[in-house]
Amino acid sequence: MKAVILVFFLVTTGYSLGWGAVGCDLNDPDRDVARLFPESTGYKTVYVSVARKGGESLLLRIQKRLGDKFHGIYETIDVPYTIYEIFRGKKKIGYIHGVNQKGQFGGIQVFLAIDPEGSIKAFYIQKMTSQYAGKLRDVKFGRQFMGLTLRDFDLYDVVTGKASGNVAAIKNPVAEAEPDFRAALRATKKNLILMDEFVYSSHPASSNPGGMQK
Amino acid sequence: MFKTFLILLSLLFLVDMAMASDYLFYFEGQGIAGYSSAQKKTIYYSMEPDAEMQKPSLGFDYIKRFSGETGDIATLAVQGRLALTVDDNDNYTVEPQLYNAYLKIKTPGPYVWIGHSRPAFGLSAYFDSHALLLRTIAMQGFGYDRDWGSGIYKDFSWGDIAASFTTGSGMPVYFKGNYMAAARASYGVLNQDNMNLGFSLGYGRTLETMGYELIDGDPREMLLAGADLTILRNNFEHRFDLLAGKWLDNETYALFYRFGVNLFQEGQLKIEAQPTYWKLGGDENYQLSLCFSSQVTSNVTVRLGYIYDHDSDDNRVLLQLYYYRLI
Repeated sequence: MKAVILVFFLVTTGYSLGWGAVGCDLNDPDRDVARLFPESTGYKTVYVSVARKGGESLLLRIQKRLGDKFHGIYETIDVPYTIYEIFRGKKKIGYIHGVNQKGQFGGIQVFLAIDPEGSIKAFYIQKMTSQYAGKLRDVKFGRQFMGLTLRDFDLYDVVTGKASGNVAAIKNPVAEAEPDFRAALRATKKNLILMDEFVYSSHPASSNPGGMQK
Repeated sequence: MFKTFLILLSLLFLVDMAMASDYLFYFEGQGIAGYSSAQKKTIYYSMEPDAEMQKPSLGFDYIKRFSGETGDIATLAVQGRLALTVDDNDNYTVEPQLYNAYLKIKTPGPYVWIGHSRPAFGLSAYFDSHALLLRTIAMQGFGYDRDWGSGIYKDFSWGDIAASFTTGSGMPVYFKGNYMAAARASYGVLNQDNMNLGFSLGYGRTLETMGYELIDGDPREMLLAGADLTILRNNFEHRFDLLAGKWLDNETYALFYRFGVNLFQEGQLKIEAQPTYWKLGGDENYQLSLCFSSQVTSNVTVRLGYIYDHDSDDNRVLLQLYYYRLI
């Protein structure tokens, strides 16, 4: 009997060399989609992972574009990214996509509402338990990201925190939250790169082609 | 039951073959072993052999979105396990367990769910503890962590409201005149405000069950009021849950507090402490619990728990290895 249990124990735990994680969903998609895209009439949820989309070679390309390696439990190859495709009638008018990012006091979740051309319509921090979260969730802070694109974030170094161009103009509203501020910028760049690879590249994320409707 | 489990699993794959895409499928496996001072022996469960809580098991977690041309329509969630039950005489059986088994439908108003999901009462209405060592009040037997029936909920910018009408039987389904109506209103969006304060009411005639075991076939009166509170601040977590009223025909009070601290930036180590007190009729008891959780990799979590039960004078130490991976 004990041998059976031991085998069961080993089977369930020994099969653990792989990597994986859970994704980043909107807390209340109905409310958030209506708020971020007031003109929308509906949304469709699709799941994409680096592992399924392109595997190891895609992961290497994303890391190169990010300028940093993926590491830790939020950045494994099989993280299922949740992409909300936003519709007005049958026309796709944008996307909402969130990523998990290591923050000062645990994980933070950074969502972007992006238009079909890849420009940020809204920046939104969902989960953040820091006592300064209110400052980083403030509309004034989020407004600094509006209109920026991946090209702007290409000029941001996620390792050193050095920026030029439009990203350099983004001000941290509270000095004590510098680690979370930098985490938010890294998450935004990561988010935009993933969206570029998943959606804005030649291979649309959803089963319904037409990711870049204009 | 085992056949039902296999049929459900087969249906999931058939659905995928027919509709393709828009789903997540996770594999779950866990091993658990511990020592109970009251029994003076090794145990292979976290609570009781018959309880649905942690046992060595293999399972899955499946979520599928159904969408039309203009957006999402519904979500199907099925979460099941094959658990190894080792009783106190070292006899063992394999038990199929179903946790989530519901279809959630989007309507112009609230979401509507039908199947096996969370009744709208207390902390367990939104706090998922189906993989944890520490017990919520519902897991302890005051209410049900999951129940069969239907429910509605709607989120607002200030919080949410939910209501459910279920069988009042928990994991199994019985129709013996049993039912449970529950409603919960809460203030605060936890992921946004870092706090949620909820008030619940429940009424019905419910069955006493433990896991899939029917303890008493006669439905008993339930009339409960509850309040729960969760506060997250920096790396600290506080969760309170209390209820009072009548449960299984007995005057009942239950109170629970869980304090947690997340260490490291990705929360790879979490320490939780939890006192729980309850009074059911003339019986009073309390438990003190402590749990260390370490997320070793994104797939593997190791938990080491200690639970002291005053009534049975049991000191219990538990080790759990939990594995969860996207397939």
